[in-house]
Amino acid sequence: MYGGGNTFEEVKTDSFSQEDPIKLAEFEARIERGEKIEPSDWMPQLYRKQLIRMIEQHGHSEIIGALPEGTWITRAPGFKRKMALMAKVQDEVGHAQLLYSAAETLGKSREQMIDDLITGKSKYSNIFNYPTFTWADCCFISWLVDAGAIVNQLANAKGSYGPYCRALDRICAEESFHLKYGHHCVIYLASGTQKQRDMFQEALNRWWPPMMHFFGPADKISIHTQVLMKWKVKMGTNDDMRNQFLDMYVPKIWELGFTIPDSQLKKNSETGRWEYTEPDWEEFKRVINGDGPCNKERLEVRRIAEERGKWVREAMKAPNQKYVSPLA
Amino acid sequence: MNSLDPRVIRLPDIGEVGRINPKPALDQFGTYEVFVLPKEGKPFQHEGIVHAPNLEMAYVLAKETFTRRFTCASLYVVNTLDVFVSPLSEGNQNVYDQIPQILNQNSAKVNYEIYHLPKRGKQHVHVGRVSASSPEEAFSIAKEQFQKEKIVYNVWVIQSTAIRYTMNEEKDLWLTLPEKKFRDAAEYKGGEKLKEFLKKSKR
Repeated sequence: MYGGGNTFEEVKTDSFSQEDPIKLAEFEARIERGEKIEPSDWMPQLYRKQLIRMIEQHGHSEIIGALPEGTWITRAPGFKRKMALMAKVQDEVGHAQLLYSAAETLGKSREQMIDDLITGKSKYSNIFNYPTFTWADCCFISWLVDAGAIVNQLANAKGSYGPYCRALDRICAEESFHLKYGHHCVIYLASGTQKQRDMFQEALNRWWPPMMHFFGPADKISIHTQVLMKWKVKMGTNDDMRNQFLDMYVPKIWELGFTIPDSQLKKNSETGRWEYTEPDWEEFKRVINGDGPCNKERLEVRRIAEERGKWVREAMKAPNQKYVSPLA
Repeated sequence: MNSLDPRVIRLPDIGEVGRINPKPALDQFGTYEVFVLPKEGKPFQHEGIVHAPNLEMAYVLAKETFTRRFTCASLYVVNTLDVFVSPLSEGNQNVYDQIPQILNQNSAKVNYEIYHLPKRGKQHVHVGRVSASSPEEAFSIAKEQFQKEKIVYNVWVIQSTAIRYTMNEEKDLWLTLPEKKFRDAAEYKGGEKLKEFLKKSKR
């Protein structure tokens, strides 16, 4: 899973005009032909920078995203659910490994990425800064947050950077299990006792606003975003992704008889787009900048894990090893 | 720490809240390239990398990272530093056209494994083994033996002895994969339950 709505660094719109025009033209022609860019190919600085940022954020989101669900493994209802949730959390951490490797091929070391996560320099998906009070919160993540992630990941898998696309192909294959598992959990809650139904309804009420934040605020269509779209770094606007998610999942939530806590939510039959109450972007900004209910806990858990593992890494270090970036 | 999770509350106080010392180089170890044989009779293909302190640990981590599902017949790993890489070509250029002929070196010969990139954006695939006295010579021999009409965009050469293969007695590592249904999307069919629920709620 992972949070979409990547925030792209604003740079001066002419910062790529300093690139070698011939190489830039070749690079763009290759993307135009639908060919992938590989680590050893020439690429503009802006392309490299934005990809590192995006893939790294995605990797961090997998690691941090495993925490709110991981906390429910011991309390999941029954052996089967425990096994499934354990497998899912293991997948998420595995996805982070794949993503960090892809980012590494662009020249940022894994050491640096982990440090930047812990010091708060790099971001991760905002939605994981919210707590999972009940089992139903955990089910909401497994089903709907993963569903949102799949919308993003399927789009990004058609991007231009080879190692990222290959990692995403693997990830999407595993996410199909997460989505089916999550839906299965929610169907069982929906068809269970009134108490179970209420529990999921309450989780839905809590998680709907962060879910609407998940895809990020509407993009300002600047020359900058247009360039990123042309280079197939950004594969669709945040609003497009949100709309696609609503299209696919609102009917499924309604089918189960739950109420989405937004009285304005409806599909405009003329435009084919969903209309909804504008999410509270001030809260989004506040939480992403560190002031959410769980930001501190998430980073502390990660930092303590890092500190506790230090002696193991020290003990296993091979003195004569050299570092080269991975090949593909 | 204040948390909903008792296990988080019980975490030890270690280090300084919100601070971490910058990691020295290789804190996360070097990288190893991972190749997987999904099915007997197919070629090995490159799947990705793992970070590990040594070849043996790389093998263990590769198994966990890349072969948790579906089928796997075999797996091997090699240090990234042991992979010799040709240039990368594009369009309708065959990379073998850029490889010079270096042949007939008289020193002792060893085995090298040869890998092709058949399409940009895809994975490298094992095509065979040659015997050569240097990696450069291995490229030249591969050009003679494996260059066909199909365009090859990139070639990797790895000395066979550098590879940590799966030994015969280890092949049972993956025998239980099909039993791990809890990892399989097909195991979570909610359709019947949903239909039943919808029928009931209509009444």
